[in-house]
Amino acid sequence: MVSMNAVLLISFLLWSVGVAGVLIRRNALVILMCVELMLNAANLNFIAFARMSGTVHGQAFALLVMGFAAAEVAVGLALVVALYRKKGNIQVDEINLLKG
Amino acid sequence: MEKLLVNIGQNLFVLFGLLAVGGAGVLIFSKSAVHSVIGFLFSMICVAGCFLSLQAEFLGVAQLLVYAGGIVVLFLFVVMLVELTKYQEKGIFQTQTKFAIPLVGAGLLIFGGVFRAALFGASAEDALTLQQGLVGATENLGNAQAVSRGLFANFILPFEILSVILLVALVGAIVLAKSERV
Repeated sequence: MVSMNAVLLISFLLWSVGVAGVLIRRNALVILMCVELMLNAANLNFIAFARMSGTVHGQAFALLVMGFAAAEVAVGLALVVALYRKKGNIQVDEINLLKG
Repeated sequence: MEKLLVNIGQNLFVLFGLLAVGGAGVLIFSKSAVHSVIGFLFSMICVAGCFLSLQAEFLGVAQLLVYAGGIVVLFLFVVMLVELTKYQEKGIFQTQTKFAIPLVGAGLLIFGGVFRAALFGASAEDALTLQQGLVGATENLGNAQAVSRGLFANFILPFEILSVILLVALVGAIVLAKSERV
């Protein structure tokens, strides 16, 4: 039997690593992967709270979150490819098309 | 050894969780994008192991199929598609890294304090304990059947909205990534 504190601690650590990656990396692909990491931490919490409350609602919702994550990855990677065609690189601090 | 085996669910969960955090560290701190994708793959497989040790078998297998089977391959395709080598000498971190790392550290300290007070304090012993089994799941009703009953009985509207969103994402990804000259 897994204790709830361990689940919350692990998902907190995963989410923190994801936030740090989004904040410090310049590569748009790595930023997308870190967003996926944060969604997985949320999924872990959903499943743990489903187990805590004894219902399957959290697990069903985690399945929905997984589908949303797949849609987000598809659009994000298409954006990365379009950006590479336009600018020649995918470093997010060089995307300054709106800067006058 | 017996003490480890008595609490094997907890130990496996912590092991997989720490490995997932380690894979996430590789994802953030490696210079090459391919190494980042490999770290991401490792982290996702370990999160699937966490799901399995939380007795969510269907979601664990779905995690393996969706992430390790689909999303990682998509990421690898895009890594191969975009040329990254000539930008590696400029450094992999943003210019605001020296502000971002203390910010994340301060957030870790603050949230960690709240976390410690809420979870390991005096009054939080019995509020957060996991149930032994699911309500809808009996002996002859597996995890996948229980999850699908919950999904189609309670979340049918989000399910339909998700199908529309997946269709829109499919069309949008094709429109965004298609080249101009076709």
